[in-house]
Amino acid sequence: MSALALGSRLNLVDQLRNIVGADAILTSASDLLVYECDGFTIEKNKPDVVVFPTSPEQVVQIVKTCNELDVPFLPRGAGTSLAGGCLPVGGGVMIALTRMKRILEVSCRDRYAVVEPGVVNKWLSDHLKPQGYHFAPDPSSQGACTVGGNAATNSGGPHTLKYGVTVNHVLGLELVLPDGRVVQTGGAVEDNPGYDLTGVIVGSEGTLGIATKIWVRITRNPEAYRTLLGIFETVDDATNTISDIIGAGIIPGALEMLDQLILQAVEAAYRFGFPLDAGAVLIMEVDGLEAGLEADAERITAIARKNNARDVRRAASESERLLLWKARKNAFGAVGRLAPSYCTQDGVVPRTKLPHILREIQRIGAKHQLRICNVFHAGDGNIHPIMLFDERIPEQVQRVLQASHEILEECLKCGGSVTGEHGIGVEKIDFMPKLFTPEDLNMMLRLRSAFNPEGRCSPAKMFPTAGACIEPTKAGRRAAL
Amino acid sequence: VSDQHCYLLDGLGSIPVFQPSSVTELADLVRRNASANVAIYPLGGGTMLDFGIPPTRKGIGVDLRNLNQVVDYPARDMTITAQAGITIARLQELLATENQRLPINVPQADRATLGGIIATNTSGPRRYGCGTLRDYVIGISVVNDQGQEVKAGGRVVKNVAGYDMCKLFIGSLGTLGIITQVTLKLKPRPEEQALVAIGCEPESVEPLLERLQASGTRPVCLDLLNESAIRAINQHVKGLLPEAPWAVVVGFEDNFQAVCWQLQRLIEECHGACSGGLNVLAGVTAEPLWKVLTEFPAWTEKRLTFKANALPSGTALFCQQATTLSPEMQLQAHAGNGIVIGHVGEDLSMDQAQMMMRKLIGWASAAQGNVIVLRSSAEWKRHLPVWGARRGDEWLMRTVKGKLDPRNLFNPGRLF
Repeated sequence: MSALALGSRLNLVDQLRNIVGADAILTSASDLLVYECDGFTIEKNKPDVVVFPTSPEQVVQIVKTCNELDVPFLPRGAGTSLAGGCLPVGGGVMIALTRMKRILEVSCRDRYAVVEPGVVNKWLSDHLKPQGYHFAPDPSSQGACTVGGNAATNSGGPHTLKYGVTVNHVLGLELVLPDGRVVQTGGAVEDNPGYDLTGVIVGSEGTLGIATKIWVRITRNPEAYRTLLGIFETVDDATNTISDIIGAGIIPGALEMLDQLILQAVEAAYRFGFPLDAGAVLIMEVDGLEAGLEADAERITAIARKNNARDVRRAASESERLLLWKARKNAFGAVGRLAPSYCTQDGVVPRTKLPHILREIQRIGAKHQLRICNVFHAGDGNIHPIMLFDERIPEQVQRVLQASHEILEECLKCGGSVTGEHGIGVEKIDFMPKLFTPEDLNMMLRLRSAFNPEGRCSPAKMFPTAGACIEPTKAGRRAAL
Repeated sequence: VSDQHCYLLDGLGSIPVFQPSSVTELADLVRRNASANVAIYPLGGGTMLDFGIPPTRKGIGVDLRNLNQVVDYPARDMTITAQAGITIARLQELLATENQRLPINVPQADRATLGGIIATNTSGPRRYGCGTLRDYVIGISVVNDQGQEVKAGGRVVKNVAGYDMCKLFIGSLGTLGIITQVTLKLKPRPEEQALVAIGCEPESVEPLLERLQASGTRPVCLDLLNESAIRAINQHVKGLLPEAPWAVVVGFEDNFQAVCWQLQRLIEECHGACSGGLNVLAGVTAEPLWKVLTEFPAWTEKRLTFKANALPSGTALFCQQATTLSPEMQLQAHAGNGIVIGHVGEDLSMDQAQMMMRKLIGWASAAQGNVIVLRSSAEWKRHLPVWGARRGDEWLMRTVKGKLDPRNLFNPGRLF
């Protein structure tokens, strides 16, 4: 679905090739196929061209060329996003930043690092490990996703309960604006006077410009961990435990829940030793100074037992702890054992509404005759129900879409949100008018017009007024969370 | 809404002040004045009204202190939604009943309001361990230039729907709209706390700070005070700090076991580095020093109060350079964050103040930083670089202001 006539496409390709070189441009239909979607596979569209700049100067020239030729453009990292944030609606130029992958500066003394947007999340933490530091946001896709993509989507992960989301760890940006001008917001020092432009650009899903340099906060590694596995007869007992832990003033590094159905799949795949008849298990991890952890671990154990935990086990060694986390982070991979296709959602509810929303999910599943399993960031109230189905049967697909919709509606009724960490992208545009009034949305659009008045950068994203109407007919979110 | 009283606002002279008792009244007020193109100056507890460029356009004041209700406090979710006019003292009191808090140090908390601290991005010594307001504001409502109440964010701790407009309002000095309601993420109160004040000689300040940055302990506060500040603080509370040329105050908050261990460990690590004495204040005995460190930026005896932001590694040098300008200068640095607050000038002339600001800005810029005026008279501020050196993104901020408040109604002239 290109916006371009053949002649102008050839002209565009020539100009872009002159900027980035012949080995940094893709134009053939088969090459472009890879770039037709991200982890949201319902809607697909090929870009006209994909370019791989290696410097901010090249990004500027690409953006200026797109403006001169009136061609839409959008940035892309590793394409692991789950809401269609890097779907090239209307075609145009996709600016893939994966070759801008240098770690430019690290200062442990001043607790920051400067990276290019294509640096893979985990590389940064691996790079910092010898000095005892890490980059705190750790989405489950961290082996592939980029820091630029994390900033664009304000990524979360299992450790956000204690450490916050990406925006809490981004200090500044070098941004190529949609008209090709370059601006630095924030930087290595804190509290620059004026508006926190960095804060609002993070999470803007590529609609305010293209980051070419990112100043991030680096965090000291915890001295020690205690990782506990609570085994419960019922989901309610598990969620009450979560609520009581928080109520007792303990902020665990992570609080993850797996229900019975997903446990069975994970156990079949990894043989961790999960009891197959348990209603739910909780992975409860506290981190910090060794001196204080034992007390926290004992209190958590007591709270779990008070909530009828059948057993509370402890990871006895670092290898046991890593195995437990492997089972959690790869849980989605194990779902393939349960059904030929699956699709997940990203709703958020206030933590205390977890028992309610989990019951509702079961009710909605039963109503639509769907099996739904749950593995999610329970401490944040961020649910990821996984609906099992067979995508070859269109009638099942419709039921999945309907159930997804009802689950998200229920999250809104609970005072929550339709997305905790995956973003609006194109997938959830229709929910924006349910979350926000026309006046609320107008304020956001006014902000966008300060950065992106022509709407040429990442068009048709986030806002219903952007003009794209996407009618989902297939369900297909597969990526790990 | 009646014209309740008048207000002297930072050199603007007397302006009429309105005290809306509902958001509807506030919205009406904004709509009426917007259509007449009258400037609107939002007011909270009035603790930071000397901050910013003195405004020159006559207008009205809008006092938000009647909008002070707690809308929702689901303690188990560790969030609270409150109206902007609530004082921080009342907010913290309520949170304490559930053993929770907003871990931001706020001076004059009995007057300062929630909306006010957000508009001015207030912070204090605990920011080293607990961050700043940008880490706690998860939802916001504002009355915009069209007199509509609009919102962003939400009431859940994790939410990426739409632009995070909350961030834009933190530190915006009321120039983008009037904050009416805020949802905050909260933290549990720590079980135990301690402050350790370490006296030291000039040459050992930076080595000590560097060592603390890499310490086996995990401080939540890393403040630095110079001799004049130490002397003034000890006059408030006798013997609080060791009498030394410099003092580093290290704060811990955690469970009982972790705080005890950190105290021991810190004393071991500092062995030999604290020639100037060492005061350990654990539990409730730490309260008076916390209080002083929190209130320091609000001291008003001096004619000029500035705030520098620099790299943490450049903070000690900056402070030492700054003290050469005047031996009476009182300095507090949140050294782990590179933030420095300085009070100077009982007998200072304006020319000297200008010269000082120039020098300070030069030294801060060597550590990638800047210096702004936090408090001074309107008369002086008209001749001082209130926002320090110009930044490269100022034009973009002006564009944002132009889009969200095209008639320049809210706090005109304060920021730009």
